[in-house]
Parts: sequence; C-alpha cells; structure tokens
Amino acid sequence: MGLKGQAAIVGAAQYRPEKYATAPRMFHLEQVADLAARALQDAGLQASDLDGLVINGPQFHEASVFVPAMAAEYLGMRLNFAEVVDLGGTTSVGMVWRAAAAIELGLCQAVLCVLPARMAPLGPDEDPAWMARAMRFGGHSTAFGAPEAEFDLPYGHMGQNTGYAMIAQRYAARYGYDPAAMAKIAVDQRTNALTNPEAMFFGKPLSAEEVLASKMVADPLHVLEIVMPVAGGAAVIVASKEVAARARNRPAFVTGFGEHLAFKSPSYAAEMTETPIGPASRRAFEMAGLKPGDVDAAQIYDCYTITVLLTLEDAGFCEKGEGMRFVREHDLTWRGNFPMNTHGGQLSFGQAGSAGGMSQVIEAFTQLAGRAGDRQLKRCDRVYVSGTGGVMSEQGALILQGA
Amino acid sequence: MSMNKPMPAPTEISAPFWNALKEGVLRIPHCTACGHWIFYPRRHCDRCFSHAVEWREVSGEGQLYSYTVARIPTLPDFADEMPQKLAVVELDEGVRINTTLVGVDEAEIRVGMRVKAVFDKVRADGATLLRFTGAEKDFPARLDSTPEALAAATDAKVTAEIAATSVRQVRFDDEAAMKSLVSDVFTPWSSKVVVDQALIDEFARLSGDDYWIHTDPERAAKQSPFGGTIAHGALVQILQSRLKMPLGFEVTGFNNMVNYGSDRLRFPAPVPAGSRIHARARVKSVEKLAKGMQLTLEVTTHVVGNDRPSVINDLVILYM
Repeated sequence: MGLKGQAAIVGAAQYRPEKYATAPRMFHLEQVADLAARALQDAGLQASDLDGLVINGPQFHEASVFVPAMAAEYLGMRLNFAEVVDLGGTTSVGMVWRAAAAIELGLCQAVLCVLPARMAPLGPDEDPAWMARAMRFGGHSTAFGAPEAEFDLPYGHMGQNTGYAMIAQRYAARYGYDPAAMAKIAVDQRTNALTNPEAMFFGKPLSAEEVLASKMVADPLHVLEIVMPVAGGAAVIVASKEVAARARNRPAFVTGFGEHLAFKSPSYAAEMTETPIGPASRRAFEMAGLKPGDVDAAQIYDCYTITVLLTLEDAGFCEKGEGMRFVREHDLTWRGNFPMNTHGGQLSFGQAGSAGGMSQVIEAFTQLAGRAGDRQLKRCDRVYVSGTGGVMSEQGALILQGA
Repeated sequence: MSMNKPMPAPTEISAPFWNALKEGVLRIPHCTACGHWIFYPRRHCDRCFSHAVEWREVSGEGQLYSYTVARIPTLPDFADEMPQKLAVVELDEGVRINTTLVGVDEAEIRVGMRVKAVFDKVRADGATLLRFTGAEKDFPARLDSTPEALAAATDAKVTAEIAATSVRQVRFDDEAAMKSLVSDVFTPWSSKVVVDQALIDEFARLSGDDYWIHTDPERAAKQSPFGGTIAHGALVQILQSRLKMPLGFEVTGFNNMVNYGSDRLRFPAPVPAGSRIHARARVKSVEKLAKGMQLTLEVTTHVVGNDRPSVINDLVILYM
C-alpha cells in the first residue's frame, strides 16, 4: 500500500521571514509566480516541465473559489493535476504527498506546491484596520450555525494559545511536567537558528532562563514557547523520478506519508493528549519500511513547544510520558544526537502563516541535498517531517529519503 | 461585559439547549438507538449516525477534563473576565463542554476535580451561558452577569466604601497641606457605569458626531476592528462626572472653584458599546498661583479589566 518512492522534491524557494509591518506587499498571484520562478531555478528545471499545481484555497487573497484555474491562467501553466489543500499547518505536508501520489498515478510529472503568505496591497476601499478585522476571530468561523461560533467563542475559547495550553495542562496532570525541559526545546532550536542566516532570530541567542522568565500567556505556556507570526511564503517542486534525474539537486524522495484528523476542537478528542500525529506517523513509517529510530533528522512542526513534545511521543521517538526525559537526555541541535528542526524550527525561524510548515519540508530537502551550510548534518539520508493544523487537530507526516 | 463579546446565535437545532439554560436546566441530546449522549447539539448521533435523538435533562455534574488560566485576553472584550479560567468539563454522561470556571480560585483548580453547572444570565433578554464551579462550592447555581446588574452591584459597594472612608478636609490656601495631597498612588476604583448604545446614540445626537463606528452597530459588526460600535472618547471623558470616586480628601474654604480645562487628554483604548467603565485618580501637582491654588488631578478611565486606560485626563482645577 502507498507510495513506491517514485516522486521527489527537487527544488524549493522560500521568502525570508519578515515582520508584517515591513514586509513587501504582493498579490498572492504575483507571489505564486515569483516563488515558482525561484523554485524552478533552484531545481534547474523549465517552466514547461510543470504540469501540476497544489495551492492553498483558504486565505488566498484574490479568490476564494476557482483558485487553481486563476493561478494557472495567471502563471501560464497547463495543468494535468490541480488541487487545493485546506489543512491549516499541515497543509505543506499534505501538499507534498498529494503531489507525489498524483505523480505516481501517472497524472503529471512535476507539481508546484505553493503557499503565498505575504500580505497583499490594500485596495482602494480597504483600510489598514482590515487586517485587524480579518484576524479578530483568527481561524474561527463566525458563520451562523458554526458550532464553534455558538459553543466556543461566547466563552472566550478562541485562538490557538489556550487550546494548546489545555492540552499541556492535561498532559501535566497525567504524566507530570518539567518547564525546564520544555524551555530546552526552544533553546536547542534557537541554537540551530544561530547557524541559519535566513531565520527570524538569527544572531539572537536564547537561554532557558529567558524562556521561563518570559510572560505567561496561558498556563503553562510562556510567550517564548509560542511561534511569532510573520510574513513569508514558500514553494517546492515535486517531480517524477525521470524529471528528478535531470534536476540540479539531490532529490528527496517521498517514501511515506500519513494523515489523520477527527475534530477541530481538541476538547472532542477521544483523549486530547494522544494526538492525530500518532496514527499519521505510524502509517508513514510503515509505508517507508522504516522505524522512528532509522531517521537522521526530524523536522517537527513546532507552533508551540508542547506540539514538539507530543509529536516526539506519539510519532514513536520515545514512549508515551517519556518526552520530557527524552528532551533532557538528547541534544536536539544540528550537532547533537537527535537533530531536530535544524533550521531553528518555526519558533526561531518564524511562522509565515500556513507556509510555516513548508519551512520544515524545505529544511528536510535542504539537509538531504547537502546544502544546509554551517548546520549541515554529516549524514542525512532519511528525514521525518510532521505537520500540525488547528489545535493538534489535523496532522500529517512525511518520510523523505535521499537517493 | 462588552456587547461586542461574541454571543451564541441559537439555531433550530440548538434552541432547546439554550432555552433550557434560561430556565436553569441543562438538557442535551441523547441517542435512543445506541445510548450515546451528544454534545454539542445535533440532530444525529455522532457515534452511530442515527437520527433517533431526543432531549434529556441531566444533572450538570461532572469533572474537569482540562483547563488553562489565560493571562492575556483571548479577545480584548474579555478583559473584564481576567484572568480567564477556560475549561473543558466532562459531564458524567461522557460529553465534553467548552466553558469557563466561576467561583474558584486559580490555586484550587485541578484536572479531575468534581464540578457542577452554573447558569449565568449575560444579556437583558435572558441569554444564558453554561459555566461551572467546584462541586463542593457554596456558590449560586444562577448568576446575573448582565452589565446593568454588575454595575449596580459595584455601585452599591463603592457607595458604602465611600461612606465608610474618612475624608480629610484640606483648606485651599494651606499650601503645605494641599501639596501633601500629591501622590504617585491612585485612589481605589470608582463606581461603574455601563456605556450602552442608547447613551452613545444620545451623545451622537447632542454632539453631532454620528460617525458610523459609534452609531451603526450593523456596519460596525462587519467593518469595525473592534467587532462592533465604540463610544466617543469625549463621551467617556465626561462620564467621569457620573462615577463616584473615593478621593479621600475634600478641599474647603474657597470662594470659587474653576474647572480650568485639561493639561493632557488622551484616548488610548476604545470603549466598545456595552462596556462597563470605572475610573481612578491621583493628585498630580499643586501649584500656588497669584490668582489662587491650582490642583491637577490625573483621572484615568478604564474598561473594567483593561489595564490600558480609555481616557487619561489631567484635569486642572483652580481654587480661589
């Protein structure tokens, strides 16, 4: 069952994360065209090689429906495969496996997976408060009949912070909690970011004391355990083995994936501390014929430190309830015995909206291709990548392997 | 509470749940085909997909599944509930409910603690939210948290406090005594006033400032960054006259007292329609002038729960 490993990431492009206030404003169509050109150049391929497109449907500025057709027309692409993905933070992972599956089915040969995440220029009737209005309820629906509008928002259950905090509190009650271990996740990732000039927090060292002394947002989460939303955008090109053979970089073959979701609010999970990344990762490893211990690096979606902790456990890198000990006993930096989020993770790289998760995919590709510069792993042939959307409510995993 | 707080809009499917809450009763759907309890309300069973679902009354007892104490409001409108004690309760029937805890101290909250339902009326039309408190708590099962009820309750409290406070009498021409009033410390909070849409509309009519962000709730709900209308800064400024403030002193002996205007007037934070406001003050400076004694009173008006003032007013008063 599953992929045969006949499709690979062959090129990537990513905007440097920037604060919204100072980032250039570009139409999403323009960002897609720009990122496509950069990713093609990175891959050493031609525009005419592309015949597939996977793009974000929600939050696409210039359209809410017919997005792939509009983008194909704007770019000048002829598509044999088009898809939108609506999986929040696991959209990136979801895009890559959908592209790989379409290629293995023979539908297409090279797919652009793209997530524009810079703000668009303001229209004549729009004012700067537009952003504030749009963001007032974040990712929550306020539509009449939307369950969350009726049963969550009136109580102040909204945004991501408090949902993740409640998962962490329940985890603490079941298994215990070590704030210093949680801080170490952020600190080790910052150490990685210090070798990545593209990272938002490049050149800014961080200590565990600073994390623990930072403002408590929602118990037990400190502000330095939470990602900073930034402007950005990213694209990768997934191509067939044949196309990959003439691409410039060492390809990162997609040999396994999994996806799992069952709820939007984790309050309705069978058990909120046992996350969907468990079944998603088991499927991914099984498909690739690997075990968690077989990978050379893990690029774990890290909107919060608690996301990393639960992913380490549920993906099988350690036993349930042993995550804090695992973190204490391992060096999570690029030079350590469990290299994780070697680009800094989104906590230190910055979270460019739904493109944030693509930073983990691209870092896996960069490491596999041996192009990670100062933070390059000595040996990197197999990488685990995870994606997390909502409040650990929709999650996906990828196994990427060098040829 | 601010009228711009999100409020439930009952649907045909959920109305029996919300109507029962108004009566102080918790009623949730139950599947007669498989015995599963269902929350939130649906017309089908989310275990077996049967539509053989009926409403049943339950006790409202359960346990705390998880919680967090939010230190930053999840929406600015929740500033008057800080810190927010957000909770997931698992009823004894097995369903989970997103809610908030009331009548418990932070330090008492434990995952797994027993809890019971509290029916909290939040709007004058009877709209009621389902909150929870500790099972052992001697806490009312029904609350009235309408802005009017909350303002009235604190009004009575502040009036009693002011009556009980000894007021220091200071002669206006006693420079040393007047200067001793200068302080870095603010007075306790004043009584509270609800800034509702009717008051805002009245001020719009009087002042002629009828900009939509103040007067058009429908448009403001769609376009205002605050999720609804906000009060005019000038209205909130003058409402200081309505607030009973425990100043702790009284200036005496003068022939005439002149409101000389303001040295500084700022409107740093909005006041959404329906908010409760209160104020506090301190004597910022006292200066002896040729024409009399000039006292500058710094009055800051806040939406209840918001650290950031909505009005900063350095009021200049001349005693002659």
